[in-house]
Amino acid sequence: MIPRLPLLPFESLMRLNLAALMIFAFAGSSELAASEVMELAKRIDDHINHRLAEENVQPTELVDAAGFLRRVTLDLAGRIPSTSELDAYLSADAKERKQQLVQRLIESPDFAYHQRNQLDILLLLRQEHNDQWREYLLEATRENRSWDQLFREVILPEDTLSTDPRPVAFLKRRTNDLDAMTNDTSVTWFGVNIACAKCHDHPLVSDWTQAHYYGMSAFFKRTFQTRQGFLSERFDGTTKYTNTDGEEHEADFMFLTGTKVDVPALEIDEEELKKLNEQIKTSESDEKADSPPRPEFRPRAYLVQLALADEENDFFTRNIANRVWARLFGRGIVHPLDQMHSENAPSHPELLSELASDLRESGYDLRRLIHAIVLTDAYARSMMRDSVAKAIGEASFAAAVPRPLSPRQLSLSLRIAGTGPDTLTQWQSDDWAKRRDELERQADVTARRLAIPDDGFQVSVSEALWFSNNPSIENDFLNGSNDCLVGHLKQIESNEEVADVVSKAVLSRQASDDERQAIADYLNARSERRENGLKQVVWALMSSPEFRFNY
Amino acid sequence: MIPTNLKKTTEWRFDDILFCIASDTGSSRVWFGSSDFNVYEFDTSQEKPERTAFTGDSHESYVTGIVRVGNTLISCGYDRRMVWWDIESKHSIRRVDAHDKWIRAIVASPDRTRVTTVADDMQCKVWEVATGNLLASFSDHQSMTPHHFPSMLYAVAASPDGKWISTGDRVGHVAIWDAMSFAKVGEIETPIMYTWDPRARRHSTGGIRSLAFSPDSQFLAVGGVGKIGNIDHLDGPARLEVFRLPGGERTLELEDNKKKGLIEQIVWSPDGKWILTAGGDNNGFVTVHDADSGVLAHQDGQDGHIHAMTHDQEFSNFHAASHQRITRWSMNS
Amino acid sequence: MNQSINRRTLLKAAGTTAIVSNMAALNVLSQPSFANELVRGDKSVLLLWLAGGASQLETWDPKPGRPTGGPFAKIRTSIPGIEISELLPKISTRLNETAIIRSLNTKIGDHGQGYELMDTGRVGEPGVQFPHLGAMIAHELGQLDSRVPDYVSMYTSTEGRRQGSAGFLGARYNPMFLTDKMIPEDIRRHEAITDVDHQDRAALRDFFAKKFVRDLASPSVSSHENAYERVHGLMACDYLFDIDRERQAMRDHYGPTQFGQQCLIARRLVEAGVPFVKVARAWWDSHGQNFETHRELCADLDQCMDALLDDLKQRGLLEKTLVITLGEFGRTPQINGSLGRDHFANAWSCTLSGCGIRGGSVFGKTDEDGQTVVEGEMNAGDLFATIFSALGIQYDKEYMVGSRPIPISDFGSEPCREVLA
Repeated sequence: MIPRLPLLPFESLMRLNLAALMIFAFAGSSELAASEVMELAKRIDDHINHRLAEENVQPTELVDAAGFLRRVTLDLAGRIPSTSELDAYLSADAKERKQQLVQRLIESPDFAYHQRNQLDILLLLRQEHNDQWREYLLEATRENRSWDQLFREVILPEDTLSTDPRPVAFLKRRTNDLDAMTNDTSVTWFGVNIACAKCHDHPLVSDWTQAHYYGMSAFFKRTFQTRQGFLSERFDGTTKYTNTDGEEHEADFMFLTGTKVDVPALEIDEEELKKLNEQIKTSESDEKADSPPRPEFRPRAYLVQLALADEENDFFTRNIANRVWARLFGRGIVHPLDQMHSENAPSHPELLSELASDLRESGYDLRRLIHAIVLTDAYARSMMRDSVAKAIGEASFAAAVPRPLSPRQLSLSLRIAGTGPDTLTQWQSDDWAKRRDELERQADVTARRLAIPDDGFQVSVSEALWFSNNPSIENDFLNGSNDCLVGHLKQIESNEEVADVVSKAVLSRQASDDERQAIADYLNARSERRENGLKQVVWALMSSPEFRFNY
Repeated sequence: MIPTNLKKTTEWRFDDILFCIASDTGSSRVWFGSSDFNVYEFDTSQEKPERTAFTGDSHESYVTGIVRVGNTLISCGYDRRMVWWDIESKHSIRRVDAHDKWIRAIVASPDRTRVTTVADDMQCKVWEVATGNLLASFSDHQSMTPHHFPSMLYAVAASPDGKWISTGDRVGHVAIWDAMSFAKVGEIETPIMYTWDPRARRHSTGGIRSLAFSPDSQFLAVGGVGKIGNIDHLDGPARLEVFRLPGGERTLELEDNKKKGLIEQIVWSPDGKWILTAGGDNNGFVTVHDADSGVLAHQDGQDGHIHAMTHDQEFSNFHAASHQRITRWSMNS
Repeated sequence: MNQSINRRTLLKAAGTTAIVSNMAALNVLSQPSFANELVRGDKSVLLLWLAGGASQLETWDPKPGRPTGGPFAKIRTSIPGIEISELLPKISTRLNETAIIRSLNTKIGDHGQGYELMDTGRVGEPGVQFPHLGAMIAHELGQLDSRVPDYVSMYTSTEGRRQGSAGFLGARYNPMFLTDKMIPEDIRRHEAITDVDHQDRAALRDFFAKKFVRDLASPSVSSHENAYERVHGLMACDYLFDIDRERQAMRDHYGPTQFGQQCLIARRLVEAGVPFVKVARAWWDSHGQNFETHRELCADLDQCMDALLDDLKQRGLLEKTLVITLGEFGRTPQINGSLGRDHFANAWSCTLSGCGIRGGSVFGKTDEDGQTVVEGEMNAGDLFATIFSALGIQYDKEYMVGSRPIPISDFGSEPCREVLA
């Protein structure tokens, strides 16, 4: 018997939110927060190690200090570390430095930019260059706005319309395509791809039937966009579908859990309804028409309500916990990320449940979750270099997996790498917030050329050709002027020293002996065109897979 | 007196597209050529007129032009043929395989002893009405457009004084010929009537679609469409240019964005004071301008793109061969 | 050149420094006799994409005399009993290697969706990135270490320009996409670096790369290596895009239009072993002035397709090359007020020529006015199944996307055996 949810007034929702805020406020003192985060990190490791022990799998060693610095700087700040950050980290006290580093990065201006960029990819897939939307997201990440708050703002943009029209972007670009709106919402916010269940009960997953697909779709069917660009919902409208036996059904408003919404009887008469529908129609085509009134019954508001109240399946929380995990490990606890259903079990069910309940209790504080994860041993593992690795399988998290840099990570890192180390030191001690903002803007152009990595990412040959031959590469990253890395290297006489400097600046580590030798040999053969030689050396490192990936 | 009230008064609907029309000075009969390959007679004075198809040697494609010469009609079509028809018997009397490609238009000489045709073989040909003999074949129109595609020769006109013939093509080139010797005596360029899109859609559209000499044979009006942005549609201003002869200096350049599309037919008033243009895009228009100042005197539309227009002797009734219609327009002058 | 050179040796040589000064030697490709000596075990697809939707009534399935037929006549062809539009006179004499399919019913009359349908062979679904035809062909017929691109797509006009993607097959199979220029972007060395330095720089990169990649079992990282490994081979292919290397007579044969030039480039690419080349001829969307527009565009298609089939045949390449003419949909039998035809996907045509095709065949029938298909209805999936079968690719083989099997032709598709050799 599928339970029907009674109509919940918004008051109750407000109370729920307030409670969450209070919990968060209580945990607000930084010391308490820090120790709680460490606790969570430890619990995460317990889960991971438990399974490793059960399966008798030996995890890899922890990555070395330079490796950890690079990895966590990329994951928290969205860029490679500077030479001075590397030097400082390597010379800092080994016991304290990791926690301090993570704390510093999380509090840096970089963190909000990177979070924003990752959310932008998740929500809009960067399919449009919407500056206002990106500004909105940046504000949200700067204040660490809770994930459920973002959910409400994005799915119910009407509610914040008077103060902020920007969150409408997520739904707006999908208003002409009901299927996209339904499935994108389901994938992005709940981790469930139900597209297959549109034409027939899902052929492979018994959880999802046509009733589920159309049930979800019903929440969006009444949504329309006025000519002026505002979103609203109609007063009526139901979805009908035909199953594979040819029988016609009318879809309920049904969430993924099977919970349905009682649709209240329409309290307006036919005449009135007709007028309203005409008003709606006019507003859709006439720019000057007033926005029509909003109905009392708002399907999308019910969707939000159901999603947040569902503690049993908890798609909403589990999805984001899984996605945050996947971003940092290269693979979800449930994988693929849009296949959350009973036939695709999580690799670590208790871990996922723990992460979800912690997240919920913290008031959907994503920063806290990220903080905890990067302090785990599991996150700090080195890569597996062995043919035996194939047998272990990625789902154990026994080793790190190389992850391609996102377009902005790569673009920004190229700029950082191409800047003179002394200049960078100066920037980082002066007004880094301002510099960081400039770098973010500069990185935009290059970032748009690059593909957003998805599952099974492959580098295209166009990228290789672009990096090999396009004149902008020389200009943007291999520039010989004083502020730039090449300009800095020009001042260094010893080719061995060049090798050391360039290795730290670009690859964020010390050069090995043979690498030092290879670079020195290369430059020695080009003594009469040294600047070109230097550019080529920098290029060779920038175009290596080591730079291209987060490992 | 410039007409300010020209209105569509009657409409007869058909399933086919009517491309050309000729009328009778005496009676209310009109004859028109159709996309169904037929030539029809139609009595517009009847309550519910029925059209009658002519028989015999029929066309095998769209009938694109028709003229009346005495008791004979001469039609031309995409089938490269000209057919002579006897009006009374409604039967064909002669057929000539006239051109190598689709014939676009036919016009009669003022003395009605000759007809001139133009076709996409880019040839202008003059024929003797009485015998069907070819008197001349000439051209200076390029068979390929500057963009390497086959061109079209759409329009032809004969001056009322019997001295000149003019021809106009796809790329906006007008040639003027001596009607007796067939020597070329002048040329005029109206390149704006040819739109080539190199970037979005990479083909062309437009072309000169209509030509008409003024009653005193001193001016030549050229009709087509102005520059089109989206060449998938006839979405451009109706364009009219008028030139003084023989010098070729332009006296009028008019574009109309209210009623858009091709100008398919130009009619000068008998006193030379106004110019009527008819044509259309997805719909039809009739526009009247002052011939000296170019000022818009009157304009109205109709359902159905107008392909050709004829008028009675008093210039009070016009009949338009249109898309799926014949319409009558009447004027109070 | 008297020695017998096979393609592998030739292109391997093209990848090294030594051959740079000998690029002229590669001109031999333009001479038919030499082409025969190239070892071609592999097949290619050449898709002539009639973007915007060409009218089947003004091309392959004319109905003169019907109210929907338009003004153009039909002409006899080299296939007894079969007639096509008079707007394609050259092609009419050259249908011996061509099959005409007249019975496509694909239902979707929207440019974007029609394009997706006809370039992936199926109606999409949110959440799955189906690969486009070129990517699938590149995957099936291409070689992993290929020194030529395996999927080249030319779309110069701006209207309807869409790139095509490898979808779940991975970026490795994305097209080399040519738009404003007829040569790929970034394929020429920047003048600030000498050729020797360019190669040596790559070798230094390689040195660092190999250290990093050692023993890593990561397909993503490997793809990075693969991409860079192909750079010099691809750069060495820039000559393929240079039609100045062809004799004037050959260039005249294809004609002076941009479409002609691109078809000639396509032939060069196919000859060098590129498995999939798409040349888009935009823009056939004649909502107004359908007959005038088709006069121009059909003349272009007639000239270029005729030259292409002839050229491929002369070089012995036609039996290994499948040439397709296809668009998003056809055009309405109904003629509108601007003498145009609108979008129409219920009964339209395409052609297949060359590899694996039973030449001189016509499949499917439409009614006398061209409003519906009355015999041999085919959809996009069936067309794809036919294309794969013609190339010797098993049309119902499956790709695994995660744990989900996805057949390369849509569920329930069947190849049209009547047009297969």
